[in-house]
Amino acid sequence: MIGQIARKDILGNLVSLRFVLSLLLVIALAATSGFVFVDEYRLQTQDYRNQANEALAGFRERAGQLYQLAFYQHRIYQKPKPLTFFAEGFEQSLPNSCTFNAFTVRLPEAQHQRNFLLPALSNLDWVFLTGLILSFVALLLTYDCVCGEKEAGTLGLMLAGSIPRHKVLAAKYLGAMFTVGIPLLAGVLVSLIVVVASRDVVFGAGDWLKILILVVLSFLYLSVFVLLGILVSSRTAHSANAMVMLLLVWVGLVILIPSFGRVIAEITSAGSSPQECQRLLKDAYEQVNADYEAGKFGENAGARSPNIADCNPPARARYINAGTEAENRAIEDCYHQMLAQASAGRNVACLSPTAIYQRAAEAIAGTGLSHGVSLNSQIKRYQTELREYIRAQDREDPQSLHLLFDEENSTEEWNAISKKPADFAAVPKFQEQDLTLAESLRLAIWDIGLLVLFNVVAFAAAFASFLKYDVR
Amino acid sequence: MIWKIAQKEFLLNLMTFKFVVGTVVCIVLTSVFVPVLAKEYQQKLKAYNENVATNEGKLRQVVVYKDLAPTIYQPPALLSVFCEGLARHMGNSAKVDLSSVPEIDPAPANVNPFLCIFPTLDLSLVFKVVISLLALLVAYDAASGERERGTLKLTLSNPAARHEVLLGKLLAGLLTLVVPVTVTFLVALLILGLFPMIDLNASDWVRIGLLYVASLVFVAALYNIGLLFSCVVRSSAVSLVLGLFSWVLFVIVIPNGGVYLARRVHTLEPKQKMESQLAALREAEERERRELQKQLTPEGSAGWESDEGSPFGGWYPLLCTPSGAIYRQKQYALLNPLQIRYVDKYWEVRRTYLAALIRQGELVNNVSRVSPICLYGNVAAALAGTDRAGVESFLDGVRAYRERIIEYMRARTDNFSAPSYFTPSTPEERIEFEKCVQIEDREASHQRSQQLRNKVTSRIVPLELRDLPRFVGALGTAESLRRALPDLALLIVLNALFFALSFVAFLRYDVR
Repeated sequence: MIGQIARKDILGNLVSLRFVLSLLLVIALAATSGFVFVDEYRLQTQDYRNQANEALAGFRERAGQLYQLAFYQHRIYQKPKPLTFFAEGFEQSLPNSCTFNAFTVRLPEAQHQRNFLLPALSNLDWVFLTGLILSFVALLLTYDCVCGEKEAGTLGLMLAGSIPRHKVLAAKYLGAMFTVGIPLLAGVLVSLIVVVASRDVVFGAGDWLKILILVVLSFLYLSVFVLLGILVSSRTAHSANAMVMLLLVWVGLVILIPSFGRVIAEITSAGSSPQECQRLLKDAYEQVNADYEAGKFGENAGARSPNIADCNPPARARYINAGTEAENRAIEDCYHQMLAQASAGRNVACLSPTAIYQRAAEAIAGTGLSHGVSLNSQIKRYQTELREYIRAQDREDPQSLHLLFDEENSTEEWNAISKKPADFAAVPKFQEQDLTLAESLRLAIWDIGLLVLFNVVAFAAAFASFLKYDVR
Repeated sequence: MIWKIAQKEFLLNLMTFKFVVGTVVCIVLTSVFVPVLAKEYQQKLKAYNENVATNEGKLRQVVVYKDLAPTIYQPPALLSVFCEGLARHMGNSAKVDLSSVPEIDPAPANVNPFLCIFPTLDLSLVFKVVISLLALLVAYDAASGERERGTLKLTLSNPAARHEVLLGKLLAGLLTLVVPVTVTFLVALLILGLFPMIDLNASDWVRIGLLYVASLVFVAALYNIGLLFSCVVRSSAVSLVLGLFSWVLFVIVIPNGGVYLARRVHTLEPKQKMESQLAALREAEERERRELQKQLTPEGSAGWESDEGSPFGGWYPLLCTPSGAIYRQKQYALLNPLQIRYVDKYWEVRRTYLAALIRQGELVNNVSRVSPICLYGNVAAALAGTDRAGVESFLDGVRAYRERIIEYMRARTDNFSAPSYFTPSTPEERIEFEKCVQIEDREASHQRSQQLRNKVTSRIVPLELRDLPRFVGALGTAESLRRALPDLALLIVLNALFFALSFVAFLRYDVR
């Protein structure tokens, strides 16, 4: 019986104008999205390779003297991810590069080729298509699934037979999910064909598994809107009223609540900015200078001259290292404050299933904020590894003072770090690692749980509402 | 007859569920958004006032002309509550000094860069999304709904001409939509009035008035689109679906699609090209600097100096030797004009790149003008002063101000060659300083120099800057209107076009 009712609904939807228009719109946008992504991915990968080769060449030149490896300013860019076609995660606007040496990691910066004068757009990725367009289609397909049948008189007839209401509800849900699943799968297929056929984008086994998870996540998200449509339809007697309610619900959930996140974040949480970071750095340096004035680092810590006899290198090293540590702490605090503010805004926005879906999709695809955070942690681990390597190699040079501190001219003049050449093949090199599937799922698990919760609540409400629905 | 039909339709609309819900939602959203946005504006205004006061304080501490490097702050736009535009994404301050020409800052240092993941929130969002939907919902069954109910043929069986009926429906629809638009504006203004720091001047009121008119024209355009669909199809369900899909196109697809299309059609040259041109200029400047430096070498060098920090950052020699002063005079007289000349060249290169970005932006605007929502967004941003042109206008003013400051410094310091350009010490103090540094005993030399420093520090007074040119940059209402006019005119044309099409369709509409 469920199958029969569902089949009837599906066939009814398939021949409707709204379904045809939805399907055409989604396929057109999916194809466009695929082509646009392929173009941009090709350029980004090319740029990334050039930048990485340039950085490696510069690093290799420094291997002539061990100490120079410590002071080389690495500029690392985020690796373009193939799954950005599914969830771009604002990667074209977020900070995407980081400068660091063996001592300090600077704040990430946005170094994009994009035109900053253009309005901030929503990228034509699958999160956009599913989050905005398909959720709208889901409501369009379900707004009259109950009240429309009541107006047509067929609901009363159907329930006059011995069909339990829960079966009717289940059938309507399945019918709507099947109908909305067609443009989703058709669109995903079209964009995958475009992307794979280009041969510029290569998906590994892990990527295919992530794509499958993302499609399931999309179904979970659309299910919320299907259930909302059924809920509102079974709360009203007229389909026009149901449509109005659902449109307003859609506008609120999909557009207004996500927009509200930023303002709430700015007002309620003490965020930070690069300017604030400069102020923190200034305070940090003043504190270190105060300690220096108090003689905390030893005699002559402030002296700097090519003549080592006039200076006290260990004291100088302690003084400079204190400054470097204070700088790193200030930058770290600032970075975490900025991230925390953005996360706070996102948490507020997670009243909307759209924001939850976006965050979960980014976590699985490895894009967005989590990409930047992962890169930052990898850079810090690499920095420690590089410092340990330099320290280990430096120990083997009896002529070196074995003092690792961030002042290149002093280090060179005093031979504080060995000047012997380094074996570049043995020098650790930075290579960005992708998040594993387990790590991605771990990041997304709460959001997936929230979407499941939304589904459960919406289903319970729709069920309770339909059981009491007056079909006359 | 038109008025009777309009009256009937208007009263019917007022009693519909969609109208009530739509208006209530507008009021609720305005009541929630505006306090939040107004608070944000207050915070920005407070920060602006503090920055301006700090800047003035620093100006009062400047003792040498070399350190005149004020920062000019753009006051926050009050009407950003109505339309945020691009203001958030660009810097709101510009430093005035010899070493750079102020330009748009794509990554303002006072903004958390991670907040770009959130879409824009302002009152125009309520108009672009909620009220535009309401307009479509009011219009979609204007003709087709009446036909389905059977009342349309009854109306037309009376001596009521079709054009009268249609005009009556148009008038009714517009009157219906005037209510939520007016209520939204009134609620917003009421809430803004409750904030003590928010003070609307005459220019703000004129802009708000124009924004109100633009909002009415915008919702009228959306109503006309809904009316067109209603006059073309026989079923209101189909009319609704067409209206909603066109809404999705106008609100979501066209604005974003416009950006993609513009990026494909008008590709930008890689930034590396500009970087390499700048690098070449920097090398040329360095070469010329070294050549000029050779002319200075016979004069010796700056020699011993006792430095002091400047209020705007940097340093200046509080004390120097007489020969050092002569050296510095010649150095600044030779090198400053070189720096100014090359900074202008750097700006020319950057301006060419910026012009390409602006051209791409213009293309996006032109493509997106198909959508009434984009047209309305442009009008709102222009009237609020938060569009790109508003930011550029501010920076043009700062650039002109920079030229005036440079001329002021030239005039006061004899083209950067006077000692007052770089040191507050008198010739006698410089002679005494020279004697101090010539003392062989380092301890004694340091002590004497320190005593002299203290003496000079206690006697110096800040520069007399009463005749310093002051920056005056206010966004003229006429200029804002001039920028908003083309898009407003297009909205009016769209209104006329859609209504004309509805008219033709309705004249041939089968009412059976």
